[in-house]
Amino acid sequence: MMTTILLMACITFFTRYLFLHRALPFKVGPKMQQFLSFSAPAVLTAIWVPIVFLNEDGINLNWQNPYLSAAIVAIIVAYKTHNIYYTTLAGMGLFLILN
Amino acid sequence: MQPVKKAILKGFLDMLPLCLAVVPWGILCGSLAIQNGFSAFETQAMSLLVFAGSAQLVAIELMAGNTPLLTILFTTFIISSRHFLYGLAVRHKVIDQPMRWRLPVSFVLTDELFAFSHHRKAYRTKTRLIYALSAGFSFYIAWNIWTLIGIVAGTMLPDLTNLGLDFAIAATFIALVIPGIKNLASLVTVIVAGVSATLLKSTGFELWLVCSALLAMAAGYSTARLTAKKEATP
Repeated sequence: MMTTILLMACITFFTRYLFLHRALPFKVGPKMQQFLSFSAPAVLTAIWVPIVFLNEDGINLNWQNPYLSAAIVAIIVAYKTHNIYYTTLAGMGLFLILN
Repeated sequence: MQPVKKAILKGFLDMLPLCLAVVPWGILCGSLAIQNGFSAFETQAMSLLVFAGSAQLVAIELMAGNTPLLTILFTTFIISSRHFLYGLAVRHKVIDQPMRWRLPVSFVLTDELFAFSHHRKAYRTKTRLIYALSAGFSFYIAWNIWTLIGIVAGTMLPDLTNLGLDFAIAATFIALVIPGIKNLASLVTVIVAGVSATLLKSTGFELWLVCSALLAMAAGYSTARLTAKKEATP
């Protein structure tokens, strides 16, 4: 089991380190950089939206879905306050009440 | 306060909500492994060395099911492949730093740390490197403490992710993404990412995360180019 864990560690570290390796002979051009500037919102959104809309039975668009109403409140608070603490507290608070 | 201390404190405080949001996942990583016959040492070693929540959870289930080693490693690679994007995106900021900075930065380059990496000057000054390492390693320490709690108390605690506490990570990511929507291009990125990730994941497609992210980035990039062209030709 330790062998598997060590090999997994090598793989995750490899995926994180590869493009920070100086000997890789390429430079990220301005167009590529602009493309990559969208990676943070793209990946983070691709992670959180399915948490809200997907459950074991598939896509849940029901308004009774507590994930959905709590997410909408979190979005409003995030938009108004730009504050991660207020957003998380408001979203989690409503979610815990509804759930 | 000294700039170094200030950077350490700011990194810690910025990451704190995310450290707390992954409590359910960290505990699950610990308890699930123990329930599936991992020793406490192996379980903690996984969080210490692999340090990748989603890959760990999937691998625990696969290893418990006696899945062939190559399948486990391939799955780990697929789940981790989004890190290539992160490395590419921060390459021009970090690449001039010596190895002793790049190595630890890449070790803690998680989704969470990447979320704090978009500043133009990120990783470019010593203070900002210290800030990033403080944020990254406080997340590392937190992740390992939650794993340890899962190892020790796992069987006594209910599965917190089934209680819906997985919403915490959604709430923190909303807080990180929404304030960054400043123009049409970023709005398009977020909408395409959300819709395509939900659809692709619901079909059980294994590359859903990387594919939806690339699709959304392409949509955002094209929108930015188109709006720039329109402004240039009145």
